[in-house]
Amino acid sequence: MKYARVYVEDVKVGDELPPLVKGPLQQIQLTRYAGASGDFNPIHQDAEFAKAAGMGGVFAHGMLSMGFVAQAVTDWAGAGRVRKIGVRFAALVRLNDTVTCRGRVVGTSQKDGVSLVELDIWAENQKGEKVVTGKATVDLASRLA
Amino acid sequence: MPIQINKGVIGKEYAPYVVTVERGKIKEFARAIGDLNPFYMDDGVGQASEWGDVIAPPTFATTFRDEAASEALLRDLGTDVSRLLHGEQEFELVRPIQPGQTYLCRTKVLDVYEKTGKSGAMAFVVRETTITDRGNEIVGTMRHITVVRL
Repeated sequence: MKYARVYVEDVKVGDELPPLVKGPLQQIQLTRYAGASGDFNPIHQDAEFAKAAGMGGVFAHGMLSMGFVAQAVTDWAGAGRVRKIGVRFAALVRLNDTVTCRGRVVGTSQKDGVSLVELDIWAENQKGEKVVTGKATVDLASRLA
Repeated sequence: MPIQINKGVIGKEYAPYVVTVERGKIKEFARAIGDLNPFYMDDGVGQASEWGDVIAPPTFATTFRDEAASEALLRDLGTDVSRLLHGEQEFELVRPIQPGQTYLCRTKVLDVYEKTGKSGAMAFVVRETTITDRGNEIVGTMRHITVVRL
């Protein structure tokens, strides 16, 4: 169920997050993300500019893909639960690509009475190539609290 | 033509800048990602939540930018936007970003190093931005690695 609350007692190492599928990516979404984020680098908007820059055509903002991956985390853990999220942009996301965001629980810990869950997170395109890889830490409520 | 990157910027701090978060900007950002989580989008849900108002998605602080500082950094490095790629990004959040709040952002260049990969020579520019609230408490930290194709 979307936006259901996950409690730390329900989580174990190896659990996978429900995959989040985004796309096929259209130019309008990149334009919209440019406006929303303030990143107006023409390399994401203007095919001629991107070709002249040697990139072969426009590609998505890395931060848009990171936003997708963060959504996969918050859809599962709940909004406002992310303490840390870090990614590497491993490959370019192109127009018409479909991006599937995934995650897996790799650890749990307690710090100052808070239950922290460590996740491996990643996104892959329709060919199964990883476009984003990274880690996230979320704090989850306890049923005992 | 390959370019030379100026490593003299290592350690440089750019002028701090202030951001006041607009409610509509949070919703615009969430919509652009296609993430219509009610804790971002619905004021009623936000007011009833533990935060007392809507909150921003985890990557929202990427909107905290100062055009003048970005342009100054590119000038200092000796490059332009056409050569840039985003290498890595990290957000550490003490609490969510919220509308109506005013934050102070301080950006420092931590490192610049070069590597040659499959696609040629590249410089990696590592920056950190600390975000504090009006009470001077840290709300979050962003770490960016920007790749410059040399």
